[in-house]
This record gives sequence, structure tokens and C-alpha cells, in this order.
Amino acid sequence: MTTIAGIGWLSPWLLVALAALPILWLILRAIPPAPIRQRFPGVALLLGLQDDETVTDRTPWWLLLLRMLAVAGLILGLAGPVLNPDADGTQGDGPLVIALDASWAGAPRWGAISEAIEVELNRAAAQDRPAAILSLTDPEAPVFLAANALVDRLPGIQPQPWQPVDVSAIRTALNESTGFDTVWFSDGIEYDARDDVLALLETQGAVNVIEGVSNSVGLRPATYVDGLIELNAVRSQGDVAQDVDILAQGRDPSGNATALARVTAQFEEGAQDASVELSLPSELRARITHFEIQGIRSAGSVALSDDALQRREIALIAGLESREGLELLSPLHYLERALEDNADLLTGGLSEILPANPDVIVLADVAKLADGESEQIAAWVEKGGMLLRFAGPRVAASDVSRDEEDPLMPVRLRSGGRSVGGAMSWGTPKTLAPFPEDSPFYGLSVPQDVEITAQVVAQPDPTLAERVIAALSDGTPLVTRKSIGQGQVVLFHVTANAEWSTLPLSGLFVRMLERLAIAAASGTPQAEDLAGSVWTPVRVLDGFGRLGDAGTRPGVDGADLIDASTGPNLLPGLYQSGDRNIARNVLSSDTVLTPTAWPERIPVTGLSRANERPLGGLLLSLALVLLFVDIVASLALSGRLIGRQGAVIGAFLAAILIVPGAPTHAQDGDDFALNAVSELVLAYVETGNAKVDETSMAGLKGLSDALFFRTSVEPATPVGVNLESDELAFFPMLYWPITPDQPRPSLEAYARLNDYLRSGGMILFDTRDANVSGFGASTPNGKKLQQLASSLDVPALEPIPNDHVLTRTFYLLQDFPGRHLGRDVWVEAAPPGATQVEGVPFRNLNDGVTPVVIGGNDWAAAWAVTDAGSPMFPVGRGFGGERQRELAYRFGVNIVMHVLTGNYKSDQVHVPALLDRLSQ
Amino acid sequence: MTPSPLELRAKAEEQAARLPPLLARAEHLAGAVLLGEHGRRRAGMGDDFWQYRPAQIGDSRRMIDHRRSAMGDVQFVREREWQIAQSVMLWVDQAASMRFASSNDLSSKADRGRLIGLALSVLLIRGGERVGLTGTRLPPRRGNAQLLRLAELFSEDSDDDYAPPEHRAMIPHARAVFVSDFLGPIEEVKLALTKAADRGVRGVVLQVLDPSEEAFPFRGRTIFESVGGTLSHETLKATDLKDRYLDRLAERKSELKALCDVAGWQYGLHHTESSAQSALLWLWRALDGGRAGA
Repeated sequence: MTTIAGIGWLSPWLLVALAALPILWLILRAIPPAPIRQRFPGVALLLGLQDDETVTDRTPWWLLLLRMLAVAGLILGLAGPVLNPDADGTQGDGPLVIALDASWAGAPRWGAISEAIEVELNRAAAQDRPAAILSLTDPEAPVFLAANALVDRLPGIQPQPWQPVDVSAIRTALNESTGFDTVWFSDGIEYDARDDVLALLETQGAVNVIEGVSNSVGLRPATYVDGLIELNAVRSQGDVAQDVDILAQGRDPSGNATALARVTAQFEEGAQDASVELSLPSELRARITHFEIQGIRSAGSVALSDDALQRREIALIAGLESREGLELLSPLHYLERALEDNADLLTGGLSEILPANPDVIVLADVAKLADGESEQIAAWVEKGGMLLRFAGPRVAASDVSRDEEDPLMPVRLRSGGRSVGGAMSWGTPKTLAPFPEDSPFYGLSVPQDVEITAQVVAQPDPTLAERVIAALSDGTPLVTRKSIGQGQVVLFHVTANAEWSTLPLSGLFVRMLERLAIAAASGTPQAEDLAGSVWTPVRVLDGFGRLGDAGTRPGVDGADLIDASTGPNLLPGLYQSGDRNIARNVLSSDTVLTPTAWPERIPVTGLSRANERPLGGLLLSLALVLLFVDIVASLALSGRLIGRQGAVIGAFLAAILIVPGAPTHAQDGDDFALNAVSELVLAYVETGNAKVDETSMAGLKGLSDALFFRTSVEPATPVGVNLESDELAFFPMLYWPITPDQPRPSLEAYARLNDYLRSGGMILFDTRDANVSGFGASTPNGKKLQQLASSLDVPALEPIPNDHVLTRTFYLLQDFPGRHLGRDVWVEAAPPGATQVEGVPFRNLNDGVTPVVIGGNDWAAAWAVTDAGSPMFPVGRGFGGERQRELAYRFGVNIVMHVLTGNYKSDQVHVPALLDRLSQ
Repeated sequence: MTPSPLELRAKAEEQAARLPPLLARAEHLAGAVLLGEHGRRRAGMGDDFWQYRPAQIGDSRRMIDHRRSAMGDVQFVREREWQIAQSVMLWVDQAASMRFASSNDLSSKADRGRLIGLALSVLLIRGGERVGLTGTRLPPRRGNAQLLRLAELFSEDSDDDYAPPEHRAMIPHARAVFVSDFLGPIEEVKLALTKAADRGVRGVVLQVLDPSEEAFPFRGRTIFESVGGTLSHETLKATDLKDRYLDRLAERKSELKALCDVAGWQYGLHHTESSAQSALLWLWRALDGGRAGA
């Protein structure tokens, strides 16, 4: 490519032809314009007349200039000019490998990266270099192809939700290669294997790095600390202060995905991480599926939540149901009050509760369990359940765990328990000793007013010491614990009510329960805890941070799930084993994002470069346009533009000159408003389905015609309205056909629809499926209608009563057929007070206009007429069908009359009174 | 080969279709004239004039009009009055140069000439005159059937670019009407008019011209062709020719007028953009005046 005046030329020798332009000028100047042949009877009189001047009419200079420009444009265009010629791009002639990090960090600017790759491939194609694409996150042996062919494959390459880790795989992939140059698109995040990969690639040839200057932001897994969700965002470049919005995504009560909360994390200047705490009601917290950083499409900006944030299920079972009215003495009262805020409480018999598989079962003063039950509970505990027991008079009196340890008791108990500080005893009530370090309660402060007056006492045992997690000030165990399988059994040696101690009255009791219950359900699992277990993926992330179904991916080992780095075999996502869920996120809680540091010898360029722009096409089109103008001008000069053939030519020119644009939609602001308000206009809601919209248009046109002919309502041509952009207030009614695939209006559109309904508008919903009985939940259209209307301010509905004003606004009707004969049409229900007036066949009903009419008879199809005015669709059969169409028209007329006149016809209940008055 | 019945019929209908419209338009035009200035001033001159006279010896029985005779005892004979009718001979130029109209809105000169000629014939025949064509093809006759023959002959086209006026078989002391654009060789016209004057035939020359022939609205390099394609003239700058063409046209008109004056004829000019009515009126008056003078 030769560069002249900053523009590159593909075939510069063609420019020589420019020298011929002056010659062309002279030739064109010498040749007269083509003659016109003209029939003329008076030619006999002309014979023998000589032209005065020997030189003809000259072609005007501007026309010549036009032609010169066109030819010059042609020559320049064919010479192949290129703007921003890339003289300093990757040069070379060997094979080229495009290496991509293709990790989650590049996902937010994947579009830019793809474009840059395309530019690189185009350049390689221009140099006839074979090229291959090597995705480092998913390495395969490079297959060298013509660079053009690779461009088509670009869309198939997607960023992966992990970093390149597998150097050995890359090494294997490159085993066969025999030298190539590399252009490496880096995502800008340092990772361990990068140096090795670089060394590998450098053995093959030169390496160029293209790296977008961008800040990668990620989100570490959310943690739950002291009732608060702690969110931790990290970034790779910490120069300036930055705010990121973090959304807590979850499900709303009806199960739809929605953003449950939003919180802003602020990066300080120079800081690489920012944390923010989020306080949510436990009910909301349990519904969170993941957190994401708003506006960043990357797997790294998504933190999935798992059991750690879930709401626990706790079953409460008391040995003795309290008598009615003695609530404060109920063994469960204080437990319920302590737990109800942050747990789901289950009550009932053991046999009913066990199948529900609660996280915790609380047995308050339950001594004896049925044999089957105790085995079931033991099995449940072994699978990870937590059994929390409280002592009480019945336990103290029973023989449970007396001589040998009961499987469901942490310790053996002495008979009868002990009572201290009571009226019949010597000592004073005991207080709690501070919690030892290995206790789960460690760190809780012990209030001095907690007094224990009675307890059951543990038998001394070799294992007793390690099982005590709380003790009294005299060293007697107060709370003991034993692990069974994956679960545990905890025994409070006092009652769960205030009978034996004041512990349930204190805040300490709640905190102790929280410690226990939380520890039972979450806690950060360690690799050794999960070793040997198999976790199956449920939902996995892709590189852009989209959660997708895991499909049939194989399960992973529990230890790997915690320890191994993510890769093709361990996708970030939500893993499940039994009823436990563990989220494996892209970032771990200690991940730090470091920008890449390339060695000096590697040239690094940015993503954005001025692209080469071939100008040839532009110049050629310009030349064509000029030649076209020349045609018009020549015709105009010789007088042939106008005239008999001229009219044809003119029409042809006009047809070409009119730039085919999008069909002009009459929705342009004022035009739309003027059109809608200058006359009465019926309107339909555009569904996006061209056929349905066309039918609606034709239907309303037919109805407009019928109104025009039969009534004093003379509507103009109907229009379609776009709910998102058009003002609705102009239209007395909207016809809204339902299609299963029409988009749900936005919130703003719903707000305007509700305004429209409240201010007297009416919407005629038509499911077009003839099946609206019971609101047609059985058809797709019916379901769609329910979905669409759920956000609308629709009043209570009833099937249209016989005396509804709609049955008599213009015609007397009892059936409302459209193309279908369904009977059910639903309108606003009559107010309860509506009464039948004496002697009048209808009630004074529905003072206003019903805001919605819902049916499924496909009225528009029955109304629809072609441009010629003939019916568009057949209705029914024979004369009966025509009668049905007529009734459909009558229904349409009635409904428009109803909208326009409101309850005017209803007021005829007063006719007797009026007649009475007139007769006086 | 005998044409198939379908072909024959199609041709016949095509031929027949040409007559009624021309005739109808001509009758329409003529009717307007009759209802106008002239009225029924000459009623009684036509075919339907009759009188009764008592039968005399020598009248054949067949001549007795029984309807009239039955009203009384006297027998009457129905007879026409002795009439002296003029013979009017028409010549309407059928040449190719007449089949020209400069725009779709105008009728061609040939159309206009035929219409005026036939309308004049209608008027004359209603007035009891005998009308025919110059030459030997259709000698002057009376009666409505003659109109049909006239219409038929008017509908023929000639392939020549310019046709000379037909001057053969002119009936002495008859009257003649020449309708043409007279753009062809003037010598022929001169010959015809001289010959007519020699035979005591007097009449009217009506020159029919298209507006473009008067305006010459041409520019630039142009090749002018006659309608038949036999003559052509190329110019590089048509605008320059305009003045000289108009001079020649004016010269031609004055030449015609001079010829007419010499021969005792009347000269009229008609443009196709003006109404046929005016031309017909002028023609009628010209002939009428001639009669009054005769």
C-alpha cells in the first residue's frame, strides 16, 4: 500500500488516469448534445433553412464539471483509497495466532475485544497470513486457516468464567506448532499461569499484547456477620474513588426474579477493595439468590449466595402441652419468642415434622421418645440435623440416660436433678461462669442477673469435660453437646421456660440460641469437612455472569469444590448435596485483583485504534450519484425531462431519488396528537405481531365504517398505539388483542394505562380464543391476559348481566359474538347496592363506564374489512354467519356508544318519572 | 384465404365503430348551429316538404294520396315542390401531416378537419343541398345516406405526407370547401384554385393548424421529421430557426389569402386549440353568404 497525503492507496498507478481528465474535458466540450427527434408537419417550411452559427449549443460548464467530478471520483475510488492506513500494525508473513485470555475479566468489554480481533484478522487477511485463535481459558491446538474464514467464527468464542490456569493443557495444545507470531488479547488481570504461557508463546515467535485499559471490578462472596450481610467488592486499579451499586437479586413472593435490595459500595481513592453491609429482614435474606454489581456483565461481579444466608427451619416440640391461658408457663413460649424473628418455626408431632426435614428440632422437656421416633431422629441427626433438648421436671423424673448414655443425650444424668437457692435448700441461686474459649458461646458476656435455681446434673464421665460448652459458676455443666455423624445433640440442663432459671428471660438466651442455630446451618465449610462428598452443580455462571441451568454436568468432589481453582471442570455456580447448597464463586474471600505487569520486551498496545477505512466504495457511490445527477441535468437541458416520455422518466427518477426509509409512522409527536384529537379515532394496542395488528386495524376500520353509516359517530381512520411511547388520553377506547408473545409493558406504560383507566378510558381485551370462561387460564392467550392485566387497576368483574347498559346503548343485544360465539363477556361488577327500579326492566347500574371489557370472541376479525370494503374473514356459515357478523358490528356500535355516552341509557330508569312530570 | 368469421366480425366492428362517433359528434355540432342563429329559417326546403294538389288527368293512379283523398270527394296527389339545390363539394386533407397533435390534450388536425367537414355536411344536407367530395369517388347527392358515405370516406387515411387538393371532376358553378393545413407545396393549391375558378366554382379554404406550428417551441439540437417520415431537417440550434420559420408561415398564409382573393374564394384559419364550433359557424356563414350572393 502506498501512502499519499496521509491516505493509503491500494492501486496507486490508477491515479495516472487523472491526467486524462483535461483531454476528456476537451472532447466533451467538442461533442454536441444528442439531438432530439421531433415530429413536426411544418418541416416542409423549414427545408432549406441554414443554421446561422456553425457551433452548436455547448454543454454548459457546470454539467461538464459534474461529469469531470464523476469521472474523477470513479478513478479515485478504483484506486482504492484507505483512510487511517495502518502502517505500523503487526507486520510479518508467518502464521499468526490470536491468543485470548477470554476470561470473565474481559467480559464487560467483550464487544470491543471482538472488534479488535476482527481488525487484527482483517489485517492478517490483507497480508495473506494464515491465522488461528487460541483461547487460553479453553486451549485447543491451533488450526491455521485463512484469516477471513476465522472472522465468521468469532461469535462462537465467548469468555469463560475462570482464568487461564491449565498451563499443561496449553503446552499440549502447542506441542505440534512450528513457530508463529502471537497477538495476545489480555484481559488485564494478573494470574499465576501468565508468565509460563508467555514463555511458551515466546518460544514460538514474537508476541504482541493488546490490552484494554480498564478497571476490573469483582465481588467476593457475601458473608453473614452478626445479622448483617457483608459485601466485599474488589477492583484491579485503585487510583480514583469509585462507587459501585450492588444489587441483591432474588425472587419476589410470586417467584419472579427481581432486585430485592440495592446498596452502594464506595472505593476510597487508592483502595482496592470496598465493603458495605446490608441489613435485610431474614425473610428477604432467605430469598436472595445472588448479588451482582450493577452494570458490569461479568462472572466476577456476581456472588452467589448459599445456605449461609438461608432462613432456618426449627421444629419445636414440647413434652407437655400447656393448659390454655397459662402461656407464660408454656415450655415453648420463650423459645418461640426468641426464634420467631429469624427462623421458620414448625410445630406438630415428631412424625409429621421429621419428613419436613427441619434444620433444628427442639425438644423441651421431652423425656421418652417412641422407639421408632428415636431411631428416625438419630438418623436425621446423623445426616446433619441439630437436636436441641431442654431439661425439665419430666426429664428429671425419668430414667432417660440414667445408667447408660442415651444416643440422643449428650451426657448421662443423675436422678432427680438438684435444686439450689430455693426455699427448701441451703445455697443461693447459681450464676453462669464465663464461656470457655472452645465453646460456641465464647465471647458472649454473661449478665449477672441470670440465676439458676434448679437443673439436671450430669454424671461425671471421661467424656464429660469435652462435652460441656457452658457451665455454672460452681463448675456444674449447664449446656452440653455431643456430635452424632454430621449432626449434634445439645442439652440445656434447665427448662426452656423461667421455671428453673431466669436464663430464658435474658438476652443471653437469644444469643446462645443464635450461636447454636447458626452454627448448625451454616459456618464456612472446610475442605476436610466435605471430603468424600459429591456435589452436583445446579446453576452455573457463564463468563458474562448469567446464571444458567447446569444441565447434566458431572458432580465434583467436596474437597475440590472448596480448594480447587475454577476451570472447565469446576464451573462457578451453585452446588448441591442433599439439602445443602454451597456456592462456588469466581472470586474467593481472599481474592485480590492485580493488574498485569508485562516485561519490557513485550509491546503492549491499547484496544482502541483508528480502524482502517477503505474509502473506495464511498467515492464510487459518489461518482454514481454525480452521474445520476448528470442524467437528470442532461434530460432537463434537452427538454426531455418534461413531456410525454418525460413524465415517465420523472416518475422513474422520483422513485429512485426517494430514499427508501422506514415507513413513516404517524407517531411523531404533534402530528400524532393532532390526528388523534381532530376527530374521534378508535385505537388498538400494537402487539408487535404484524398479522394481528393488521387485523385490528382492518377491524376497527370496519367498525368505524359501521359507526359512520349507522350512527352520528363519525370516526376517522383508526390508529395503532404503542403503549410505551404514545399518549393514550386521546382515545375513548382501546382495543387490545392478546397474543401469547407480546411484550409486557414497562412500568411507566402501566402507570399511564392505569391513569387512562382511572380517567374514564376503556380497554376492550380480546383473547381471540373464544375461551374466556373462568378467565381462560387454560389457553396461552388467557394466561397472557392474566399476566398483562395483573398490574392494571382493574375492578372486580362479573359476566355481563342481562340488564347491563352495554346491552342497550344503541342496539338491544343479548349476545356478543365476534368471529367466535363465546357467550362470556366480563365487565365491571355492579356495586352491591344496585337495585332494580320498579317497573323498569333494568337496574340503575354502573354509574360510570366499565373500565374494561374482557372477552375472547375475536371481534376485530369479524369487523375487519378490506380496502375495498368487503369482509376480510369469513364468519360462520351462510346467512347465519352474516347474521353473526351483523351482531358483532352491533356489539361494536354498542360498545363505542357506551364509551361515548356513559350511563345515558341507564338514565332511562327515570323515564316514567319524566313522563309523569311532562303530563302535568 | 377467407378470413375467419371471428376476424371478419372484429374487422367489421372496427370499421363500423369509426363511423358513428364521428357522425354523432358531427350531428351534435351541427345541431348546435341549427338551434342557434339559423333556426328553421329554411324549413320546407328539405326532404319532408310536400303539398297536395287535386289530381288531374294524366296523373297515374299510383300517385293519388289516399289518406288525404279520403277526407273528401276530391282526389289529391302528393308531390314535392320543385327544388333547386346547390352542390357542395368537400375536400378534407387525409394526408399524414394532418395526423399531428402537439399534445395529448389537443385533437389532431385531421380529426378536427373531418369533424368540421362532416358537421358542415350535416348542416348542408339538412338544408337540402347536395354534398359530395371533390374528385370522382363520391359525387354530390342528397339524403341522410350520403352522410354515412361521407363519414366512411372521411375515415380513410392517406399515407402521403402532403396531399394535393383534389380538383378533378368539379361540377361547374358548384361550391367547394377545402380543409387542410396547406403546409405542402403551394403550387398544387394554386393549380386547384385556378382550375376551380375557371369552372366558376367558388368556395372556402379553411386552414387548420396546430398551436405548435404557430409557436415553434423548440430548442437545442433537433431533427425535425414529417409525420410520414419522408422529410427531415436537422438543426443545431432550433431557437435560431424560429423567426425565419414564422416568417415563412406568415408568407404561406398571405399567399393562400392572395390566391383566394384572386379566385373569389374565402380564406379562414382555424387552430386546433380553439373550439370546432367557431370554425363551423364561420364556415356556415361563409357558405351562406356565398349563397346569398349567388
